[in-house]
Amino acid sequence: MYRSGKIVRMNTSIDISHIRNFSIVAHIDHGKSTISDRILELTHTVDERDMESQLLDTMDIERERGITIKSNAVRVSYDADDGETYQFNLIDTPGHVDFTYEVSRSLAACEGAVLVVDATQGVEAQTVSNATLAMNANLDIVPAINKIDLPSAHPDEVKTEIEDDLAIPADDAVCVSGKTGEGIHDLLESIVFLISPPKGDANAPLKALILDSYFDEYRGVVATVRVFDGSIKKGDTLLMMQAKGDFLVDGVGVKRPAETPVDALTVGEVGYVVTGLKDPEAVRVGDTLTWASNPCPEPLPGYREAKPMVYTGLFPIDNKDYENLRDALDKLHVNDPSLVWEPETSVALGFGFRVGFLGLLHMEVVKERLEREFNLDLIATSPSVDYHVYKTDGDMIDVRSPQDLPEATRIERIEEPYLKAKIICPPEYTGAVMQLAIEHRGITTDMIHLTSKSVEMRFDMPLAELILDFFDQLKSRTKGYASLDYEFNEYRPSELVKLDILLSGDEVDALSFIVHKDKAYGLARGLCDKLKEIIPRQLFEVPIQGAIGNKIIARSTVKARRKDVLAKCYGGDISRKRKLLEKQKEGKKRMKAIGSVEVPQEAFMAILKVDE
Amino acid sequence: MAVTALYMHVPFCAQKCRYCDFDSRSFAPCDLSAALDAYFEQLYARLDAFGDAGALAQIRTVYVGGGTPSLAGERLVELARRISAWCKPVEFTCEANPESLTAELATALAEVGVTRVSLGVQTLDNAELAAIGRIHDADRALAAITTVKDAGLDVSCDLMCGLPGQTAVSWQRTLDGVLAAAPHHVSVYPLTLEEGTPLYRMACHDESLEPDEDFQAACMDAARECLGAAGYHPYEVASYALDGHECDHNIAYWTGQGYLGLGRSAAGMLDAEDFDRLAGLFPDVPARGDAYRVRLVQRDDAAMTFDAEYLSQREAAAEDLMLACRMTRGIGPDLLVRSASVIAADELAAACDRALELGLATWVPDYVEGHAGCVASKDVIAGRAHARLAPTHLGWLDGNVLFELFWGLA
Repeated sequence: MYRSGKIVRMNTSIDISHIRNFSIVAHIDHGKSTISDRILELTHTVDERDMESQLLDTMDIERERGITIKSNAVRVSYDADDGETYQFNLIDTPGHVDFTYEVSRSLAACEGAVLVVDATQGVEAQTVSNATLAMNANLDIVPAINKIDLPSAHPDEVKTEIEDDLAIPADDAVCVSGKTGEGIHDLLESIVFLISPPKGDANAPLKALILDSYFDEYRGVVATVRVFDGSIKKGDTLLMMQAKGDFLVDGVGVKRPAETPVDALTVGEVGYVVTGLKDPEAVRVGDTLTWASNPCPEPLPGYREAKPMVYTGLFPIDNKDYENLRDALDKLHVNDPSLVWEPETSVALGFGFRVGFLGLLHMEVVKERLEREFNLDLIATSPSVDYHVYKTDGDMIDVRSPQDLPEATRIERIEEPYLKAKIICPPEYTGAVMQLAIEHRGITTDMIHLTSKSVEMRFDMPLAELILDFFDQLKSRTKGYASLDYEFNEYRPSELVKLDILLSGDEVDALSFIVHKDKAYGLARGLCDKLKEIIPRQLFEVPIQGAIGNKIIARSTVKARRKDVLAKCYGGDISRKRKLLEKQKEGKKRMKAIGSVEVPQEAFMAILKVDE
Repeated sequence: MAVTALYMHVPFCAQKCRYCDFDSRSFAPCDLSAALDAYFEQLYARLDAFGDAGALAQIRTVYVGGGTPSLAGERLVELARRISAWCKPVEFTCEANPESLTAELATALAEVGVTRVSLGVQTLDNAELAAIGRIHDADRALAAITTVKDAGLDVSCDLMCGLPGQTAVSWQRTLDGVLAAAPHHVSVYPLTLEEGTPLYRMACHDESLEPDEDFQAACMDAARECLGAAGYHPYEVASYALDGHECDHNIAYWTGQGYLGLGRSAAGMLDAEDFDRLAGLFPDVPARGDAYRVRLVQRDDAAMTFDAEYLSQREAAAEDLMLACRMTRGIGPDLLVRSASVIAADELAAACDRALELGLATWVPDYVEGHAGCVASKDVIAGRAHARLAPTHLGWLDGNVLFELFWGLA
């Protein structure tokens, strides 16, 4: 980890006109992280010897996958050529639709964005979608053409692309090299001149936005905030306007990137607030902070509670790990308050939990953290949304797991959550996007040409269709050029059925899935075929069947393994042979025995891999 | 209990086969002779050291493997002569490849006590032979079988299925051709791609080289049927013999008897008592502690370094059970009763029951006059019933599952 920066300025009362809040956005691998790192270096925020790439991404998974999951804000001081010292707050944003809400919060805290474009690659898919997000947030955009040290760099053409494709003036585009540091100084000057200072009233009652929060064992919840009006200092009593709770400020500070306490966070600034609150759920991202004694009249707009959208079962492969899984979820919940869960029992998998996630990437990240940080082997089952099931006896129940679906005869109707989805893409892909939407039961409600290069389409679409592979499909069918945003719309009645999977004639509850009846046949066939690929050949033939109620609608067969024997085994082979058997046995531990069938973990997520 | 089996390794080949991951070196002809001379000198010295320690007197079976022992020519005869000076084995096998086994060599070996030659025939299809890097052809292989028989020796043929380009028809031709030459013993091995071999690397680029397990199973079935009809009974996963021509030396491996391994990469297995007696011959091997069985592999030409593996009594019992499953006769009642003194009877019974439940094994009366019928595992283990747990057809072709079940008791 990094040590604290060399220069620690305790004097934080800087004039609002000298503050610049911005984020850096880019297509993957265009050099966002190296430029962030260079800025920290050039402003002496971090010593060269402490440099470590991707400084802003602190979670292991973030560094490994090269993605940002949590927002982060770092303050740097910049002595500009005009002789003045400026305060830059560099706000890092997540880049996936699961975390769209965090992105919009992060952007709401900025006045500007540095748009990084690779001088050899030019404008690419995520350049367009990120630029669109930034423009929709009314940010001042500073284009930076990166990697100009490379022989194949063609910055002039890239400038033309930026103007033509993004409708962003590129006269002021800065040519930089994150690698050599060339042009970074010019970029810092451009940030000073092109990005507006924040507006706000230092004397008005406090109005601050919570961008992010994390839990610290000793200090309780620590919230990252952007101050829009007023100021925060230690000892203030603050009110959270949506959560309706208050707390005494234990301290305020900024990240440089190590946490550095300051006297106060004043209007326009970004920093952290130590709340002392011991309940991680007490603080909600997107909430507005104000003074308890003299509150502002209106909270900041756009607060949205991070609600789980998708539910999956998480089961330990080894049933003895059930309590460990519960403890691990408790611990993870502390810095991921959006996690919710309840116990679930499966005939096939034993005891586990039904866990709610923001989306599938969120699920993958949580599962990976549970496995890695808590040393667990887990099986995740097919994702489901929250269905409203109206029973013939008049009751309505929430069904988040196919196993909980009552018998068909006891169901009056099922309603499923629908979304309003918004997709922005270049005009040449509208056909492909419409086709994709239709395949996912989407209904086009609107289509607007934003510029000659981008079209906005709006759809009504069932959430269940979106949680599977929709986002990946969208990216692949538009070569990555489409961006997606969505919000909950309403519950609508749907003709849904439960698709069951039988292995060797026995129903495996953990493989069941709720699906629209028109798609049941195709999905059943696809799932049976996919399971046939995933389940290894065993001693016996394993018939796989897809069924609705008692009706078999699809089948496939894993052929019996005809030969599995090491035929040559003489004196020198015996030790090796035993080790081979032990390795085989170790491999089987990663599988779940369902009856007499050994089923690998990924079989329970096969639904995500079905090509319809 | 004195050791009765002796293995000696000759790690030299004229050319390494593409599938082989055994320890063997190939040399240019001009260097080979000197290398063989040096190696055999050390092998003789090693033999004499064991002889001096009194470890060879009880030897009943000898097996000289490789590599290609026949490549050593006169040196191999000298080795056999020296072995015969220490003991009088009833079975003495030398491995040979068709191209280096001359009539003179066969005769000379027969004169110094060798009783049996194991020939690397592999297939009688010349294209298949070339594909795996063998340097002999089918005619040469058939001639070698005759040569061995003419010298009055038993002959065994190694055959391989799942070779590149092999078909059901070519496999049947190989089986028919070998049967026509009437060897005493046949071994059938499905080709496995071992990491690091040329064939493995080739298969990484060309999937068609990867042996198809269904095809191999069909070949193994065809061999069992065809060899069986000709009077060769299967007595182990890969081994077929005319009555009275089973390889006793190999059977020692599968029945938990101790054996000595001399030469680089040769493996030996000793019980505690034998190991303690011969420990001086394994200079760098640590004390066995309370280990019940020691497995040793010689690591160098000079027999100065060894790999040693120590097994507890329980592990040794599980290993014996696992190896017994390789044999057609299966796990005998005596072994089951003996194992029950080390492994809890109910665990043992559970493994037997699981094997029965999966259809991998079945109870077979242990005496010819014994009555068939229902046998309970616990009765056999307790010595109240006499039956062998013999692998079924499934337990033969999917033997690994069966082996895992019993090794799992360790």
